[in-house]
Amino acid sequence: MDSFRNLKYKSFSLKVLFALILVYGLVHLAPEPFSSSSKFSFVGGPDKVFAQEEDEFEEGEEAPAEGEETGAEEGSTDGEDAAVAGEEEEDLSYLTDIGPAKDHEFKPFSFMGFSNRKITWVAAQLHILFASFILGCPMFVVIMEVMGARRTQGVRKAIILSNVFLGVLIGVVIGITGEIIVGIHHGVLYGLWACAFGAFIVSFLNYFHRLMDVRVSALVGAVFGTLIAIPLTPVEHIETSGIILAVINGAVGGTLANMIMFAKSDFKFERLAHEITKVIGMCYSFTALTGGLFLFVMIVLYQDFITYLVQSFPVLFMVAYPTLFILETIVMYIYVYSWDPLNQQNKKGRHIVCGVVLNVLGLSLLCALDGPATFMQTPPKPLDELMNINEWSRIATSTWMPLNYHRLVGNGTFGGYMVGIIGAYMYLWSDKKEEKEYYDWVGYIGNIIGVAIMIPLPAMGYIFVREIYQYDATIGMYIMSDRESMFMLVQGLLVGTMFSASNIYMWVSMKRIENAQRFFPAMKFGFILIVISATIWFTPRRFFATMMPEPGMDPNMVLPDNLAFLALMISKNTAAFALVTVTFINYVFYTIATKTGKVHYGKINPLGIYVLILLGFADIWLMSWMGTIRELSRMNWHIYKVFKDVTPEKFAPSLAESGFHVTTIVWTFFIIMTATIWLAIKYPKTKKTPAIPATATPQMAE
Amino acid sequence: MQEKTFKQKATKIVPISLGLIAVFWIGGNAIGLSPAVVKRLAGIVLVAMTYALLLAIPKSEFKEKTFFQNLKFKIPVITIIAVIIWVVSGQFGFPIWWQIEFVAFALVGLTYFVLLDLRAMKPEKGQVQTTIRLIGTYALPSILFIVITAQLPQFDPQFELDKLNKPPVKLSGLAGPEVIAAGREVFENNKCFNCHKVFWEGNSDRGPNLGTKQIGLYSDDYIKEQILEPRKKQSPGFDDPKSKKAMPTYYGEDLSEDELSALVSYLKTLRDPTHMPVEGKFPDQWTWWDDATIVAEGQQVFEGAEPATEGLNCAVCHGKDGTPMMTGALDFRKEDNPDTLKMPDRLPDVLLKDWPDALWYKRVTRGVDATPMAPWGMIFQHLYLWKAEAYARTFHDPLDKRAAKRPVPPVPTKEEVESWKTNGLFLDPLI
Repeated sequence: MDSFRNLKYKSFSLKVLFALILVYGLVHLAPEPFSSSSKFSFVGGPDKVFAQEEDEFEEGEEAPAEGEETGAEEGSTDGEDAAVAGEEEEDLSYLTDIGPAKDHEFKPFSFMGFSNRKITWVAAQLHILFASFILGCPMFVVIMEVMGARRTQGVRKAIILSNVFLGVLIGVVIGITGEIIVGIHHGVLYGLWACAFGAFIVSFLNYFHRLMDVRVSALVGAVFGTLIAIPLTPVEHIETSGIILAVINGAVGGTLANMIMFAKSDFKFERLAHEITKVIGMCYSFTALTGGLFLFVMIVLYQDFITYLVQSFPVLFMVAYPTLFILETIVMYIYVYSWDPLNQQNKKGRHIVCGVVLNVLGLSLLCALDGPATFMQTPPKPLDELMNINEWSRIATSTWMPLNYHRLVGNGTFGGYMVGIIGAYMYLWSDKKEEKEYYDWVGYIGNIIGVAIMIPLPAMGYIFVREIYQYDATIGMYIMSDRESMFMLVQGLLVGTMFSASNIYMWVSMKRIENAQRFFPAMKFGFILIVISATIWFTPRRFFATMMPEPGMDPNMVLPDNLAFLALMISKNTAAFALVTVTFINYVFYTIATKTGKVHYGKINPLGIYVLILLGFADIWLMSWMGTIRELSRMNWHIYKVFKDVTPEKFAPSLAESGFHVTTIVWTFFIIMTATIWLAIKYPKTKKTPAIPATATPQMAE
Repeated sequence: MQEKTFKQKATKIVPISLGLIAVFWIGGNAIGLSPAVVKRLAGIVLVAMTYALLLAIPKSEFKEKTFFQNLKFKIPVITIIAVIIWVVSGQFGFPIWWQIEFVAFALVGLTYFVLLDLRAMKPEKGQVQTTIRLIGTYALPSILFIVITAQLPQFDPQFELDKLNKPPVKLSGLAGPEVIAAGREVFENNKCFNCHKVFWEGNSDRGPNLGTKQIGLYSDDYIKEQILEPRKKQSPGFDDPKSKKAMPTYYGEDLSEDELSALVSYLKTLRDPTHMPVEGKFPDQWTWWDDATIVAEGQQVFEGAEPATEGLNCAVCHGKDGTPMMTGALDFRKEDNPDTLKMPDRLPDVLLKDWPDALWYKRVTRGVDATPMAPWGMIFQHLYLWKAEAYARTFHDPLDKRAAKRPVPPVPTKEEVESWKTNGLFLDPLI
């Protein structure tokens, strides 16, 4: 009762807070000239508004004053230009020429100190974080649900489908890695078909009876997966490398299919999946809300551009996207609300199928929206023909599939780490021993899945950037060597932090496993390798923030030629390989330890719990940071070399400013997430209802 | 069965690992693996051996330490390591910022190992402590992120904004130096510096250093072709598959006519009057002195057979086989010949074999006063004159008898390049 009163009291306070924010917003959200109070004011906002004719004259007058700050020479040149403009009516149309949408109007807004671009940045980033949650966590949840379901006939049928789905995902990841890194032609198709069919055949055969053990399953998967993949993959000459890739994928598909089909069901997985689903339900609403916010923000702040973009994809935005969205919403709610009823009716299999469908819809949505996203970055060439090609060609740009792969794997990692955070929170908020044991285990599972999916993540990022380089090396150079080079350095630091935190979590976790300390000397050696690898990853070519030194930078801060190799991709790749390998080795030690020694769940050093939270936090910070890097690589284009950004904020903000802004966004997300986790999982437990047992509960036989 | 001792295990692990390395070494060389690959394989085996040895260490009770116990042992160790890192990286020639970075990461390592050995944290005493720790978990890395992003090198966004607000290159009405400056801007804006250095400036050696290669010696058409169709002809030393597809092919679409012309004007200025052009990919570089193709082309020029230098025939005076045909003509066969006495800028004590490149260039482009040695640099393209000089040298220093290549000169510094503009080394007009 007290807690209810507390909540009531809190909700009143929340209402007051929201009301205040609303009032503040209404007062402040009004079109106004781009004022110096903006966060970007230090770069001289008002004098650079070229989008409106009348501002140009003011600009000319103020230019010399600005020159005093940035260098007398530049200032005088600006002044002379302005003078010439007055006499000869200099053609300044290049400043407002935005390509296809000539009759644009730009109105600068300021809201709570944020400018147009920053408001958009917040809305887009929050939307994508929630979207990643509702795409990443369902993948996790279905795996967990399958692991927790008793192997009834219906469940086994559903597992055939879920295995094929998993086979497709894993096949694509291994295949694309083989295609790009090793250079196997159509590797992704070999991987996809072999792994999916390997999983399908093994699951199908094992459905009737336990026909095969793991080894035979691997063999059957490899043989049949390869036999099916070869005719389905359109290559002129079959190469040995392709066959080897197909065999590996088939074997992986077969093995996984067998292991999942006959895994011993554990109710803990079912409970975990169910609890996460409750959070997904709430986050789904936040995704829709932030998506709406993002759209409205774009309509108000970048009307010309969003109109152009939406008009470029009429079928996608009018038919495909709403259809997928509505279908996903329906399936989502069916999935969330049919959990208990279907369990009670002993129809778990149908629920799993529903989960797989939800994931397929979610992934389709992700791929659909990656179309416009990559269209902005790499519009199909030749650009003159951009509006004459069909809509599908505008979606399937050169970076579309790489971004799909990257986000698919990234979201999977995100899902794992978010579950880790949920486990950590609930561990901290639980008093009972059994609950602590259970949530300690949840954290362990979240981390183990997060790390497992994170291992191929650098390869996916590499594939994406490689494609960008092939499209237009200028964008790649802007990211890797020019204005975003220091951003990439921070990315390296974060990746290092994540791998380090993951390994520290495993180390701390192993302290509560009997007989696990035999691995510690070897693990310590791994930690030394991690520090060395992180150092190499972090080592820059230059300690100035651009490709060539700009005024105020020290041109001597460059590595000498004979040492420059440390800053090149070959060294970075070696460092990344070492990081991944050491993590993988520790992961193997950890797995062996959990299988051969007793794990004392609930007795983890609290440091492990906070490291788990740090891990999730760093992951989300990194994700937001990579989003920032991708967005800033547009340079001064909304659509690269097609639709120019002529607003005052067309430049890349500094590293310091971006770092601060991203941190505030991530904090906002975490505050909402913390509240959501509390409301979805913790609050219902405060009610006096019978506690859910952490151990297996018998389910009715079908 | 009794478990094997560490010594027994080690006596198995070490010989097997070393044997594997030997197999990789011998086998790798036999099947033609590159030394870099063999070294990598050996490195992997060494790491694996270390892992195996560490796993073979007999079980012992892991002792956690308090924060201070941790520091007591680790601070002296890390201090020694930091000093070693500082000294060694200094010896290798790392600038001070990188030395600081390496030492900073050693400190990160210290934090790491302190955390690993640290005694377990005490459980939270209540929700207040939980909340404080939770906020700390978010706040600490957030502050770190903010501080790091604020402290790393920054750029001034205004600089980019100024660049974006500049009008596109239009050549009409611009004079020579302005066109060159505009061309330099095109070069910068298209991030050519990412792959091409220009003397000391630039980012990497992916493509030729356009300064030391002296791209300015080549014709406008050749330079344009290299920009628009970079795959047509690779620069010597850049024939590997990676280099072949490194240069983007879209500049024809991206650059306007004016931008391209301005860019070529800038590139035409990239010459070095003090050194032979340098070819090849760093660090495998060579000068034209040792380039057989160039020497062969130089022979054509020397003997008057090169159509591009019609009217130039060095052999008329210096002799086709090096025997001077005219009194006073320099005998290239004699490596101990001194410099001419007829020029005020002569280098009296320097013998022909030791002539600096700058002297060769000067004598050919400026000629020798009061002799038939005309200032050929005012008539013929310097590209061919350098080639002829490379050939002339072979009379006293034949290509096939050279024990070693001439060393590649150091990349000229900013000051040196600046000095060429004022000390009259370049001719006007520059051909």
